[in-house]
Amino acid sequence: MTKRDVTHTTFTIERTYDATPARVFEAFSNPKAKARWFRGPDEWTRGKVEMDFRVGGRETNAGGQKGGPVHTFNAIYQAIVPNERIIYSYDMHMDAKRISVSLTTIEFKPAGKGTRLVFTEQGAFLDGYDDPAGRERGTRDLLDALGASLHESV
Amino acid sequence: MTKRTVVHAMFTVERTYDATPARVFEAFSDTAAKRRWFAEGDGWTIDEFAADFRPGGIELSRFRYRDGPPMRNDTVYQDIVPNERIIIAYSMMIGDDRISSSLATMEFRPAGGGTRLILTEQGAYLDGHDDVPQREEGTRGLLEALDKELKRKRA
Repeated sequence: MTKRDVTHTTFTIERTYDATPARVFEAFSNPKAKARWFRGPDEWTRGKVEMDFRVGGRETNAGGQKGGPVHTFNAIYQAIVPNERIIYSYDMHMDAKRISVSLTTIEFKPAGKGTRLVFTEQGAFLDGYDDPAGRERGTRDLLDALGASLHESV
Repeated sequence: MTKRTVVHAMFTVERTYDATPARVFEAFSDTAAKRRWFAEGDGWTIDEFAADFRPGGIELSRFRYRDGPPMRNDTVYQDIVPNERIIIAYSMMIGDDRISSSLATMEFRPAGGGTRLILTEQGAYLDGHDDVPQREEGTRGLLEALDKELKRKRA
């Protein structure tokens, strides 16, 4: 029998991007723009990707190393204020095992001509299968990739 | 234009019930039972209550208190371990204002012949429409209503 435990944690990451709030927001709302940065490492195999960006809409993004477990992100959008705020809840699966459930708040604030993005994740990590520090590192990497994607020609 | 603010907070409420984990869990998993303690009450009008209790399933309740504005709770069941754990995400609206989005973890642990329920809420409270003490007090009120529900069924 699995030993059940839950670790509740919160982390916040802030980034300033040299792009307007509308453009940074689009990197989350437009499936093509999001696909440029929201994904696993280059060597990963891509799985199912679906996205329905509206309150109550769902998003799935799966992938993993060849021969390794499949990591699946399943989200549902809780609140959207265009160009200002996005809140979604999501769970992560490793193969069939649910390893965490989280609530993510993303705030887009004008900062000069750019945008200050404040990313807050409140998480419940389950049954010892995941570590919050690893999730925070992974999120920092994603926000770096987001920054790089803003400078790519569209 | 609305000033957008988010207050993130976490609180935990614990309560011990004189009923087995299976019975306490059933008060969450059974739609009719949950409607009784979670939605109904003196002065409340229930406009809609529907629950699809499975991971990924949605619970929707729409209600009003006396002559107050319509309120709405959109819940998604994120994680279910029968008789042991439920995790939901939910968003609340009053009128057209979205007041909060939260994650709530409910752990059901055997305690003697009864159950210790540990409810942890991790919330994002929006635009000054709600605050943490108010939500915590509301949650305690719900867990009190759950106690009445469990006693009712035994009678």
